[in-house]
Amino acid sequence: MSTVVDETPGGRGAPKRGGGYERPTAYARPDGVMQKKGKFELYSWVFMRISGLLLIFMALYHLVWWNLLVGVEHLSAELVLERWSNPLWRLFNVALAAFALLHGLNGARYSIEDYIRKPGARKAVKAIVYGIVLLALAWGIFALLTYDFAAASRR
Amino acid sequence: MASEFRARSLGHALRYKGNAGMWTWMLHRVTGLGILAFLIIHVADTAIVVYNPEFYDHTLDIYRSPLFRVAELAIFFAVIFHALNGLRIIVQDFWPLAMAHQRRLAWAAAGITAVAILPIAWLMLAPLFGLRPEPGAERHERRMRERGVVTSETAAGDHGASTTLVTTVSTEGAR
Repeated sequence: MSTVVDETPGGRGAPKRGGGYERPTAYARPDGVMQKKGKFELYSWVFMRISGLLLIFMALYHLVWWNLLVGVEHLSAELVLERWSNPLWRLFNVALAAFALLHGLNGARYSIEDYIRKPGARKAVKAIVYGIVLLALAWGIFALLTYDFAAASRR
Repeated sequence: MASEFRARSLGHALRYKGNAGMWTWMLHRVTGLGILAFLIIHVADTAIVVYNPEFYDHTLDIYRSPLFRVAELAIFFAVIFHALNGLRIIVQDFWPLAMAHQRRLAWAAAGITAVAILPIAWLMLAPLFGLRPEPGAERHERRMRERGVVTSETAAGDHGASTTLVTTVSTEGAR
């Protein structure tokens, strides 16, 4: 994570009259370039909590259902398509894929920002990881949304 | 940056802090990245089912190999741990009293995961050694019976069902 750097040492904002400090207004990137402080990190923190809580139930249900109650051994395209013929299950899968992949993508961002310090390399790795994850998500959602057309053409 | 820890070796890195907090943090990261890697493949290959069911069935054969069964158990473990440890982090964020007991809670998350994975490991791995039927065998049996397909899984009994027999029945019967 980037360190807070401001006018005063210690990462605080300007001292206020009568004690205390202003909130810091800028962050320094690892290469020292100052960046305006936005709310993105706050929203990402909130998103991780909300999606995390939802995923505890959604992902564990998904795993128990397909691995323990259905069983990979008995899994088939027919079984999946039968379940997806209900639009509510497709909606559940869109939500599960979106929450899980975006939660994972943000987690990967934390790791990339922790370990890759060179701005160029950081940008390159981020572009590759974001590209792969968002492509997988787009492809998954596209398949779930065009289910009806594909089903019609299969008949 | 007031001070920066620079590990001189892997052993040194692993001794750094080295208590429940560090280990669960590390495991949280590793499991998270592992789940993400699996998820990319899983979403991409499952989406194929809509356009090319035959090819999807072919990819399922890969998932049925013993190596992938162990990998699936690892995914299960990763998700349970990540869920419980994530829950611990959320609770600690909002409840100061929990923060005071963070070390104990970290061990609790790891402990509950370790206990929960045991029955799941039995359910998922025992069929490999012919010790119990595949998970979901009964449900599959019922489904097949409803469609009038007779399988030999019932005839084989509960405990004597060999893995090869179950495999033949399920993959052929389902299609």
